[in-house]
Amino acid sequence: MSAPAIEVADLTVAYGDKPVLWDVDVEVPAGTLTAVVGPNGAGKTTLIRSILGLVRAAAGSALVLGRPYDEQRRLVAYVPQRGSVDWDFPTNVLDVVLMGRYGRLGWFRRPGRADREAAAAALRKVGMEDYARRQISQLSGGQQQRVFLARALVQEAEVYLMDEPFQGVDATTERAIVELLRGIAAEGKTVVAVHHDLQTVPEYFDYVVLLNVRPIAAGRVEDVFTEENLRRTYGGRSALFRAT
Amino acid sequence: MLFDDYTVRTVALGAAGLGIVSGALGTFAVLRRQALVGDAVSHAALPGIVLAYLVTGSKASLGLLLGAAITGFLAVLLVTAVIRTTRVKADAALGLWLASFFGVGLVLLTFVQRRPDASQAGLDRFLFGQAATVLREDVWTIAIVGAIALSVLALAWKQMKLLAFDPDFGTALGLRMRLADVLLTGLLVVATVIGLQMVGAVLMSAMLIAPTAAARQWSDRLGRVTLLAGLFGAVAGVVGAVASSRAERLPTGPTIVLAVAAIVLLSFLFAPTRGIAMRWLRARSRRGRLALNAVLESVGELEQQHGSGSRGHAAETIGALIAGDPRVALEQLARRGLVARTPDGLWTLTVRGREELDRR
Repeated sequence: MSAPAIEVADLTVAYGDKPVLWDVDVEVPAGTLTAVVGPNGAGKTTLIRSILGLVRAAAGSALVLGRPYDEQRRLVAYVPQRGSVDWDFPTNVLDVVLMGRYGRLGWFRRPGRADREAAAAALRKVGMEDYARRQISQLSGGQQQRVFLARALVQEAEVYLMDEPFQGVDATTERAIVELLRGIAAEGKTVVAVHHDLQTVPEYFDYVVLLNVRPIAAGRVEDVFTEENLRRTYGGRSALFRAT
Repeated sequence: MLFDDYTVRTVALGAAGLGIVSGALGTFAVLRRQALVGDAVSHAALPGIVLAYLVTGSKASLGLLLGAAITGFLAVLLVTAVIRTTRVKADAALGLWLASFFGVGLVLLTFVQRRPDASQAGLDRFLFGQAATVLREDVWTIAIVGAIALSVLALAWKQMKLLAFDPDFGTALGLRMRLADVLLTGLLVVATVIGLQMVGAVLMSAMLIAPTAAARQWSDRLGRVTLLAGLFGAVAGVVGAVASSRAERLPTGPTIVLAVAAIVLLSFLFAPTRGIAMRWLRARSRRGRLALNAVLESVGELEQQHGSGSRGHAAETIGALIAGDPRVALEQLARRGLVARTPDGLWTLTVRGREELDRR
């Protein structure tokens, strides 16, 4: 058995006195498409951000493929929430995608031809090759999301952490992104995505982490994505059961 | 020639260097929404200047600017500390420390000026700037410090770009964003401090903000925005500094700021895609095209109703269909050969006009 892609142990994060994550133990096996699901304020984004070291944890640790995250940074790609940046920033699509290569370039080197080719290939994968020179303020929400995906793809990582990759995306784009994520997982890589739409969890994902400040359940979708577990996660007000 | 004058040439060189440095670095402050950091630094620099004078007893610029840099940097640290540890938000924290430091600076300045041994120590030039007091060695200071600052910016370009656009992503990439942050703040302190003698504490932040506000109108690429901001800063600096060094008792800061404000205004009005004038022209030509289409279609409609045997239609009839005066549009359509005027002043479709309508 290879090491799990993500192994979070005893993770506790608090903003002020309020715990956002409480004693969370989660294991995500490598090669899965994993959804992180839970109500608003459940700490889904905080979980992703604390694995990446963007939020300081009060306690706990995160291993990536069996080793501390700090030693494995290069193997982890990150897709932040689309709304976390200013899309009026003076730059174009190609340039944003190239940012995914900055980690391997170090302080002083500029992106070279290999980097530009990787960026062009990533843009082709997300169906945005015609937009390379487009100013980013002229993109729709779905296009912005695909640019962020392309930026993560050029990191050529083993583990992809995504914060709501379907947020504000139209149905066609959503299917295209799911296909892309399946392709990534088929190569033995791991995708962990914060996801909001309970209806599509069984269709899109094969592994799920149910979270509400404390971990509720984690496992294969067919095993743990049950009515009982959802009720425990959402406190009896599951969006899935309301909608159906 | 204006620039043959030694003083004017010195002042112009210094102002150009200052404008380039503050314009280019200011781009990053503005893009990461920290435009007012320069304001805090420049105001907080005042007590540093006076204290440096009290300690060293010398009015040499370098020592005074070192004092300015120390208190300026201290103010930024305090602002950050207040934001991190209290519930006070960034703008309030900035305002708080800016006013406190500046207040201390003014008190110290008054104290120094009342001392019998140092009548008018000349320190008040740091309030509004006085280009005429800029010496050749000051220009060297600006040039060397500015060149170092711009080199650091160029070398750490990727980090600065990520710092402004998406610092969390930079951290996730393993880049040291905290270090980049300290570096950029340090560079901003430097750019602000070297401008104090010429522009003054009160208005220095305009030299960081305004060139970028103008440059952003002209380009959508970070590199070009940065270069243009440097250029605009330099132009404003030279115009303002030279003008004020020619006129007696004209403070340089306000003159430079007026020059850069003029550049901003012109950019807002006349920049090619974002400018108000071009947007207005585009909207007008769009409206014009729509009006022409409506009139052409009305003539076609009348022709259809009355059969092609009709002798033509009066402008008033056409006007009733479009609920407006069609005469200007009819003249324009006639010039394009789409309609024609009959000898009795009526309007008919030409063959080309009919083709044009059929094509739709």
